[in-house]
Amino acid sequence: MDFVPGGELTRRIREGDVSAESELIRQFEPGLRVLLRRRTGGDHGLLQDLVQDTLLVVIQRLRGAGIDDPQKLPAFTAQTARNLAIASLRKAERQRTDVDSDLTDRNADPSQGVEGHAEDLEAALAVRALLRELPHARDRLMLKRFYLDDHDKEIICEEMDLSEAAFNQALSRARRQFRQILEERGFSKRDLLSLGL
Amino acid sequence: MNQQQIEQYVAGKMSQAEAEAFEVYCLENPEFAKQVEFEQRLKAGLAQVSRGSTAEFVRSNNPLRMRLAAAAAVLLCLSAGFYAFHARSRHSQPLLSAVSGDLSRTTGTMRLALVRGADTAPALQKGRVRVEIVGLFDTGVHYVVSLDRLGPKKEVDTLATLSGQHASTPMTLEVVIDSDRLERGAYSLRVRRQSSDEEALDFGFVKF
Repeated sequence: MDFVPGGELTRRIREGDVSAESELIRQFEPGLRVLLRRRTGGDHGLLQDLVQDTLLVVIQRLRGAGIDDPQKLPAFTAQTARNLAIASLRKAERQRTDVDSDLTDRNADPSQGVEGHAEDLEAALAVRALLRELPHARDRLMLKRFYLDDHDKEIICEEMDLSEAAFNQALSRARRQFRQILEERGFSKRDLLSLGL
Repeated sequence: MNQQQIEQYVAGKMSQAEAEAFEVYCLENPEFAKQVEFEQRLKAGLAQVSRGSTAEFVRSNNPLRMRLAAAAAVLLCLSAGFYAFHARSRHSQPLLSAVSGDLSRTTGTMRLALVRGADTAPALQKGRVRVEIVGLFDTGVHYVVSLDRLGPKKEVDTLATLSGQHASTPMTLEVVIDSDRLERGAYSLRVRRQSSDEEALDFGFVKF
C-alpha cells in the first residue's frame, strides 16, 4: 500500500501547504478516474469534470472544516465522487425529460451510467492498432468474447480448445501491447479524425 | 488485490460492497488504479471498435495489406515532416510561449476553465495575451500545451506546442499567446501531462 497517511496530509493542507494539495491530487486522481469511469458510461468530458469537482470539494473541505477521521480520507473522497456522479446523472436526466423518479433511480445505478457523448477515442484507436498487431485471429476473437460478450474464461477455453495457461498468456500479451501502444505512441486529434473515429 | 479482482470489477461482477472497497483500495494505491484504468480503457476501446464493425475481430491476416499500410504510413510521416519544416521556417517568433518573468509586454489576460454547459467561449483579445488555464494541476510534473485551430468541419490543425510547462499553482497553468498572429476563428488549448497516456484537457476560445 503506497498511501500517504491521511492525518499528515490533512494537517498540511489545513496549514496551507500547497505541495500537500499537489500530493493529494497525485495520490487520488488515478483512483478517482477508475471510480468515475465506471459511472460516466464513456463520457470522457464528464469524467474529467467530475474528477476535478471531487478533488476541489475534498481540498476545500480539508482547507476548512476538515474531516473527523483523517485516516478515512480515501473513503471520504470515494463517497464524495460517488455522490457527485449520482447528482450529475440526475441532473442530466432532468434535463432530458420531465422528472421521472423511477428512471432517475435506474440511471443512478453505478453499473449503468449515461450514454457516451465524448468517448475515449484514444483507447479506440489503440484497440484498432492492437487488433492489427495481434498475430492470430484466435486472439482477437478471444478478446471480443472475454471483454464484450462477457463469457467466462472456462467456456472460452473449452470452445476455442485452449488451455487456461494459453488463454492467460494471450490475454496478458494483449494487455501489455495495449498499454505499450497508449504509452509510447500517443495519439493526436488529427490521428483520430483521419481514422474517422 | 489481483488481476482476477480487476477483471471482476471492470466486468461489473462484484457486489456493491466489494466494488466500493475495491474503489477505496484504488484511491490508496494509485499505481494499482492505473492498472485498473488500462483494463477499463481496453474494454471501452473494444466496445467502441465493435460498434463500428466486428470485421476487425475476425479478419484474416493479410501481409500485402500490412505492407501497403506501412508504406502509406511512411509517406504520411515524410509529408508531415516536410510540412512541419516549412511551417517552422515561416514563423520565427513564438505564437505560444511560456510565461517569463517579464510580463510587461503582455497586453491582456484571458482565463480558461472547463465550465459544463457553457454556451459561449471566451474571446481572445489582441496583442500578446497571458492565458490562465484553470484546472487541477500537479506542480511537480511537466505539462504539454498545444494550440489547435478548429475548422468548420471539425478538422483540427495544431499550430504550436509547448513542452515542459509547470503549473504556477495547483490550480493554474499559464502561457502567452501572440493573438495578432491568429486569424479569426475557433481555437482550443490542449493540456496534458508530459510522457503520459492520460487524455488531454481541452479549453476552447474564439478570436474575433
